[in-house]
Amino acid sequence: MASILDQDFPDEEEDDFNPAPEVGSDDEADEKPAANDDDDEDEPPARSERSRSRPQRDADDDAKDELGTEGLIGFGRDEDAEGEGRNLDDEDDEEDEEDEEDEQDDDLEGQPSRKRRKQHRRNQFIDVEAEVDEEDEEEPEEDDDLPGEEMHPDDLQELPPGADRDDRKHRELDRQREAQFQMDVEEEAARLKERYGRQSRATGTGSAIVPQRLLLPTTEDPRIFRMKCRPGKEKEVIISIQGRVNERLGSREPVRIYSAFERAKPGSPMSGMIYVEASRVEDVIAACEGITHVFMGTKPLMVPLEEMPDLLKVTKEKQLEPGMYVRIRRGLYSGDLAAVHEVEANGTEVILRIVPRLDYGLNEDVNGPMEAANGQKRKRPLVQRPPARLFSETEAKKRHGKYLSKQGGLSGSNWTYQNKEYIDGFLLEPFRLNALQTEDVNPTLEEVTKFATSSTDDGAENLDLAALAATLKTSTANEFLPGDKVEVFRGEQKGVTGHSVQVYGDVVKVKVDPGNGALSGGHIEAPIRDLRKLFREGDHVKVIGGSKYTDEVGMVVRTKDDRVTLLTDSNQSEITVFSKDLREATDSGGAAADSKFDLFDLVQLDAATVGCVIKVDRESLRILDQNSSVRTMLPSNISNKIEKRRNAVATDRDGNEMKSDDTIKEYSGEQKSGRVLHLHRNFVFAQTRERAENAGVWVSRHANVQVVAAKGGKAASGGVDLTKMNPALKQNGASPSPMPPPQAKGRDRLIGKSVKIRTGPNKGMIGLVKDASPDEAKVELHAKNKTLTMKKDMLTLIDPNTGNAIPDGIRSLAMGRPPPAGAGRTPAYAAGGGGRTPAYAMPSGGRTPAYAAGGGGRTPAWKQDAGARTPAYGGGTTYGGGGLGGQTAYGGATSYSGATSYGGGSVWGGGGGGGGPGGQSTWNPNMGGRTPAPSGSKTPAYGGMEAPTPGFNSAPTPGSYQDQPTPGGFRDQPTPGGFRGGNYQTPGSYQTPGGFPETPGPYSAETPGGDDGPRYD
Amino acid sequence: MFFVKVLEHRIHLHPSFFGAQASDYILDQLYRDREGSNTGTMMIVAIIDVDDISEPKIVPGSGYAEYDVSYRAIVWRPFRGEVVDGLVSSVVNNGFFVDVGGLSVFVSKAMIPPQLKYTVEGATPSFTDGVDQTVERGSQVRLRIKGIRGEMGQMFAIGSIREDYLGPLLQ
Repeated sequence: MASILDQDFPDEEEDDFNPAPEVGSDDEADEKPAANDDDDEDEPPARSERSRSRPQRDADDDAKDELGTEGLIGFGRDEDAEGEGRNLDDEDDEEDEEDEEDEQDDDLEGQPSRKRRKQHRRNQFIDVEAEVDEEDEEEPEEDDDLPGEEMHPDDLQELPPGADRDDRKHRELDRQREAQFQMDVEEEAARLKERYGRQSRATGTGSAIVPQRLLLPTTEDPRIFRMKCRPGKEKEVIISIQGRVNERLGSREPVRIYSAFERAKPGSPMSGMIYVEASRVEDVIAACEGITHVFMGTKPLMVPLEEMPDLLKVTKEKQLEPGMYVRIRRGLYSGDLAAVHEVEANGTEVILRIVPRLDYGLNEDVNGPMEAANGQKRKRPLVQRPPARLFSETEAKKRHGKYLSKQGGLSGSNWTYQNKEYIDGFLLEPFRLNALQTEDVNPTLEEVTKFATSSTDDGAENLDLAALAATLKTSTANEFLPGDKVEVFRGEQKGVTGHSVQVYGDVVKVKVDPGNGALSGGHIEAPIRDLRKLFREGDHVKVIGGSKYTDEVGMVVRTKDDRVTLLTDSNQSEITVFSKDLREATDSGGAAADSKFDLFDLVQLDAATVGCVIKVDRESLRILDQNSSVRTMLPSNISNKIEKRRNAVATDRDGNEMKSDDTIKEYSGEQKSGRVLHLHRNFVFAQTRERAENAGVWVSRHANVQVVAAKGGKAASGGVDLTKMNPALKQNGASPSPMPPPQAKGRDRLIGKSVKIRTGPNKGMIGLVKDASPDEAKVELHAKNKTLTMKKDMLTLIDPNTGNAIPDGIRSLAMGRPPPAGAGRTPAYAAGGGGRTPAYAMPSGGRTPAYAAGGGGRTPAWKQDAGARTPAYGGGTTYGGGGLGGQTAYGGATSYSGATSYGGGSVWGGGGGGGGPGGQSTWNPNMGGRTPAPSGSKTPAYGGMEAPTPGFNSAPTPGSYQDQPTPGGFRDQPTPGGFRGGNYQTPGSYQTPGGFPETPGPYSAETPGGDDGPRYD
Repeated sequence: MFFVKVLEHRIHLHPSFFGAQASDYILDQLYRDREGSNTGTMMIVAIIDVDDISEPKIVPGSGYAEYDVSYRAIVWRPFRGEVVDGLVSSVVNNGFFVDVGGLSVFVSKAMIPPQLKYTVEGATPSFTDGVDQTVERGSQVRLRIKGIRGEMGQMFAIGSIREDYLGPLLQ
């Protein structure tokens, strides 16, 4: 509120007016002498001060003179009232007497003087200690003989006319006091009560109540004037005025104001204003004129009488003390927590300890343009403020060695860097009070620990708990609820534990737990600030506020002072929070009940990505996606939640069934184990409590895990499910429906392919597919600049190189198979029929064709490229055929033989005859896959032996089928063709294999013949 | 601590199982369901015998038969403050997990004597004082249970070895 201005205040009045205890107690009277002894030591200096101030007195100001002469009245000087009061009281023989006298006179007349009233007005805001009163009565006793003795001759000279009246009064007073002294104590008490009882209202100890209105200022009191000044400079102005008052104290023109004060607070509407109490406007102007920051342009405004009391309402203000925490409002550090290191004497500036945000020149543009004219750096917007880290001289030396210098040298941790001081890694910087936020600082533990840890060498945390408590005090009001376990941590009942029973205001009624000695079972009352919540290890608690951990639930693993470390239920991590932020948890729920996603939910991140929620915060989710990367996302960024499919089944690496809740183990890598949370497509999400990272969740592919123990094992391995239909009674249930053909997914593969229109007005035209839907396609014609939308079944896929139609190509594309591979595959299909049989066929027909093969053997070789492929296509077509198709595939192989083998075709017929035609055909296809290569060069051996080769076998199993699709491999194989060419001759045995080429021959001859034949020719 | 406790269990039977064998089915189901299960406060170690299988009641609307089975079982229930032995299942930097039967106990670093330091040798993390006490995966540990939390089907606890006579057992 107001500044504390002057040591010289005429506080004596207040002290004199301090209410006497209602019962004038003997004890107090007894104590007086001792007090006096102490006070005597203080007399001389006080006296001299008094005497100096004396000359100023203006006798005209009769009742108020002491106010006026002293110049300034500060408010809120209760803290020094006592001491000062003593001094003054002791020397009542001096100027005090007049006051006393006045009062007495007033009393006698039974009507309060103006001065008295004024005093009341002020006093009602002042919390004067009751003890001071005792000394009121002591004065008369010792000082009887000293009236006026101490008055300096100069002072006497300077006394204005009328001052002599003072002397008389002094003497009168003395006489009165002497008489008083004779009175017995009781009488005196009664008298005191009567005399000072009015005062008691102000301090609240007396019984007599003076109506508030009597205490209000009247028109005869000095008025308060408002002056404008520069906002933020109010205190400075007041201090300057104070200086001026002191300076002119002894001069001819004393400053005739009673008080000056300001009520400015940063951001309040009162900033930029000072208030001066004076009788006349001229006095105000005289007091303020020439003082910097005062705007003399605006005339002093007289504060209306009724508003004057409001102006002086006391609002309790927190005094900053070293060690307290504040927040910085502006600048680089805005929002940062800072510790008060030192408070400047004038109270307007504090030195703060800050965790610096330095980039040590990293973001400095060395070559950046400097304003040549003034050498100032071009002003850049603050790019991004560097993170708050403790000052590191090594960092600073890297680029900014020139700005760095060492201070002191004793501790080695004091540095000056860019003209700022760094001690122990903290930046010490002065801040104006109005740049700071002192209320509602609410430091979080994370922030506070930054200040705590680094200040000791051993790294042990030493939180300044007292300071922290001071900062936090305001927010603790609703901390306790009835039923909370609490502990008294200071005061004489320190260490007592109990349960809170009742909370009212700042006091908590505690039922003391057994085991607290004499207090056990009883009730005590303790102020909130001496209490803290008590938690024991193992308690299940919930964080109810005050940090980013709000709503976490966990078990207490450690308590130290009022910091509690708990192990969260959700992800087994340890967090430390204040005990005031905790409450015993009844539910075992995790965090944030209001999020629509729960821990371990499976969510869809985008079309191709899913993830598992591993942490639910209030604002965000942490998600482990299927690629094992962790992302933080807002709930709104997640497209949807995938409901858990409890009956989802997948196969593990060994082909065993894997279900939700089974225990699985990673086959490779870290061999993590865990319980299956979700099975999605190819991925399995599992969770284990043994891992802390990602809440124990990990993700892998089905093929990379093994089932260790089936949880459902009981149901699966054990008996039947009694809640379902008895399987034994089921009549040979419907066999499972055949697997439907796979649906094409994603982009239609037909797009970009060349097609030919089969029917309609545009029949025969060739074009490119630009777009496709499940049954239509947009075709851009080669011939005309036109795009047609056609039904897919009106189109034929053609080979863009050769223009050959690929029968059924569109369908196979739709099935998700690349058409070229088609050949490769088809066989596989066919293979199903009888992988082996063909082997038979092989040898049988094998030989005959040898010839043919021999003949054609070469030709194809060079034709390799063209031939190799085309036939493949042919294969594709055939494939469509089904069983026979299988052969075609082979035909693919043949392809090269295609040329050759024309004749072969007949041979084939033979082959066909040899075995079940289907069988052979099938087989060939298989070969087709591989053979082509061998067929040329090696085949011989091959033909005979290879038939059984695994490749074969695998063919039938659909699995292998799948593998084969990789057309790449397939295609590569043709290359051997070249090889074939080379090797070709080497093998004498060559002929045997001949069978090979032969077989193909037949194929191509047979099925595709129609189509392909011409081409080859 | 282990107790013998009388418990009840309710089983529903699909009508297709009705017949002479129905009670066998029920018993089977009981053993499968309950043995080794965890109620959140205790773990059913073994079913000693079945006292009674109630007369079945047909559940209106579904046709299922409802059996109430009462049985005696040996249960294990951990208590706060109880000292138990367990097998370390994993060691992480802020403590270690111990399996005590079906109960997973976490021993936080704050509850490990300070002389046991977290060290990683090769790939095996452990808490060791470098002399004779080592806690690593697979060690036997004696600990005191400090807190228990039960969910349906599982229990968790935190424990302490920061006391005399607690800690790794010398093998």
